[in-house]
Amino acid sequence: MNPETAAGLYELLEQVTGYIYPNEIEIHWSILIVAYPYLTGLVAGAFILASLVKVFNVKEVQPVYRLSLLTALAFLLVAPMPLLLHLGRPERFYEILLTPNPTSAMAMFGFVYAWYLMGVLLLEIWFEFRRDLVVLAQQARPPLRWLYAALSLFSKDISDGALAFDRKAIRAITVIGIPSAFLLHGYVGFIFGSVKANPWWSSVLMPLVFLMSAIVSGIALVVFLYMVLTALRRQPIDMACLDKVTSYLFYAVIVDFSLEALDFIHRLYESEESVGILAKLITDKLFMSLFVLQILLGMFIPLGILVLAKSSRRFNDDLRKLLYFTAVILIQLGIFATRWNVVIGGQLFSKSFRGLMTYKMEVMGIEGLAVTIVVLVLPFVILAAFVRLLPTQRLAEREAAGAAALSGGSR
Amino acid sequence: MKIPEQVQRLAIVVGVLLAVVLIGRFVLLPSRLVARELHQTATIEREVVKPVRYAGSTACADCHDDVVVKKAKGYHKGLACEGCHGPAVKHAEDPGAVKPAAPRDRKFCPVCHAYDPARPTGFPQINVTAHNPLKPCITCHNAHDPVPPRTPRDCAACHGQIERTKAVSSHALLACTTCHATPEQHKRSPRRATPSKPETREFCGGCHAADAPLKTGAIKDAPKVDLGTHGRSYPCWQCHYPHLPEGRS
Repeated sequence: MNPETAAGLYELLEQVTGYIYPNEIEIHWSILIVAYPYLTGLVAGAFILASLVKVFNVKEVQPVYRLSLLTALAFLLVAPMPLLLHLGRPERFYEILLTPNPTSAMAMFGFVYAWYLMGVLLLEIWFEFRRDLVVLAQQARPPLRWLYAALSLFSKDISDGALAFDRKAIRAITVIGIPSAFLLHGYVGFIFGSVKANPWWSSVLMPLVFLMSAIVSGIALVVFLYMVLTALRRQPIDMACLDKVTSYLFYAVIVDFSLEALDFIHRLYESEESVGILAKLITDKLFMSLFVLQILLGMFIPLGILVLAKSSRRFNDDLRKLLYFTAVILIQLGIFATRWNVVIGGQLFSKSFRGLMTYKMEVMGIEGLAVTIVVLVLPFVILAAFVRLLPTQRLAEREAAGAAALSGGSR
Repeated sequence: MKIPEQVQRLAIVVGVLLAVVLIGRFVLLPSRLVARELHQTATIEREVVKPVRYAGSTACADCHDDVVVKKAKGYHKGLACEGCHGPAVKHAEDPGAVKPAAPRDRKFCPVCHAYDPARPTGFPQINVTAHNPLKPCITCHNAHDPVPPRTPRDCAACHGQIERTKAVSSHALLACTTCHATPEQHKRSPRRATPSKPETREFCGGCHAADAPLKTGAIKDAPKVDLGTHGRSYPCWQCHYPHLPEGRS
């Protein structure tokens, strides 16, 4: 063995504890692959929040309906990017499209994604915004006028009958959309849950855990965006809406926590041969990201904050807003840590169950921290463009609300 | 029934998209490009042009048959030559000009033989700092047929984990040979002559039965049970781990 190889080997060996197999020293799924389930989770969660309005008729949530849809779209557009950048040869991605493989679970993402984007989200958004696009196409000046006209597919019919059809179509799409959103993120959970050789991943509960944490993160994100957006626009926050949405958030966190606890207890009680290495994994390698970030900061503290905000009648609106805002940021942090613990955690122990590896994150490489930050920030940029172009409240409602605010202000 | 205007427009968009995809896929793209064989061939070609670096152990046997025969009898028989000596295809092609490296320092062997509780019991493990400091491993051990230069003094040389566990248990003062009859040959060829293990309840009863005679060396207040009634007829080690029986305060 030449000296350089030996020196390289010794350097790597310091990152290893115990016995591992030679091909396990490199962690193949990097922080980019952490971003992938995180982003798709936000999509599914935001869409399910939007569906509360249309399918379950929760009127209070109406103010965030359009924002949820646009959030889902902005994040959905970026969701495949981490996968694309993770490819060894990203410029060859089209080969997957040319030779579709209907039996590969990995390749299934293309079908699930295409269905969700084209069959559900874009359709629902189009029907929801069509009337406003037609109106804006008449009011705006070129070149925006052309853009709005093109986006409305040059339709002009805003008669009551046509609008009634739009509403019916939206309801029908949402009814199909809920199982589709479940499919989208349940699928991501399935990818991990079906890896039978990896005891940290292999669990039938995985799709459900992913789904619930997706709902948690999606709702928390929309609450965050709603609060930031109203602050930027200097509009009042609809507290009835905020209270309602955070109630759903609270229930979702409880269910998510219960599922994860169930998974944990189940593994502990089953005590399969992997339990020893998994115990070492969570105490040695994932202590910070699992116990501190995910469970304490991402679950217990936000739950405590939400209980506090809900239980006491003495808190005024401003204090509740502050509490909610803190809780949703902590929840985002926690859910990102959840994804980290699944994706990175599952690769930190050897299949021999006798050794642990280390993940050393790149900073500047194509799978590094910098690229991931760009991928995580990009949806916000896209969303900002959407929110600038498309009204987040129905135009008629906005005028009515504006008039109400004006009369309120003059008192 | 009249189809609503917006549905007509959507239908046009969907129709155009579908047509573009279908025409693109089935008309414009040459069938060669969408053939799986093309992609597979490309992958195979890409792999084939990579330089071969390992000669393989059969190549070593052609010239070094003495070493190969020796190694095949020793504990390292499962290891490939190039695992320690590095990729050696150049050496195989031109044995005179290129010599493969051999690890001659103390760094290489501990990669497998440094003490680590995760390693299986019975696997030879050493404390690198305390084990003949600074001496290269090959001064005492032949890597092609590794055996300890002297017969190990005690069982801990190989069974470090059990030794460390027993050391903090209430059986700390018992020698391994109290319970395991160990043929002397076990120290030289551990897999050919294995030590015995207790097989009956009465063996543990020798110290722990209520009517046990006080043996020399047995502690007077060792916990006593009535073998007739205690734990029905299960063997003792069904519930008690002899190397770490539950502690008493």
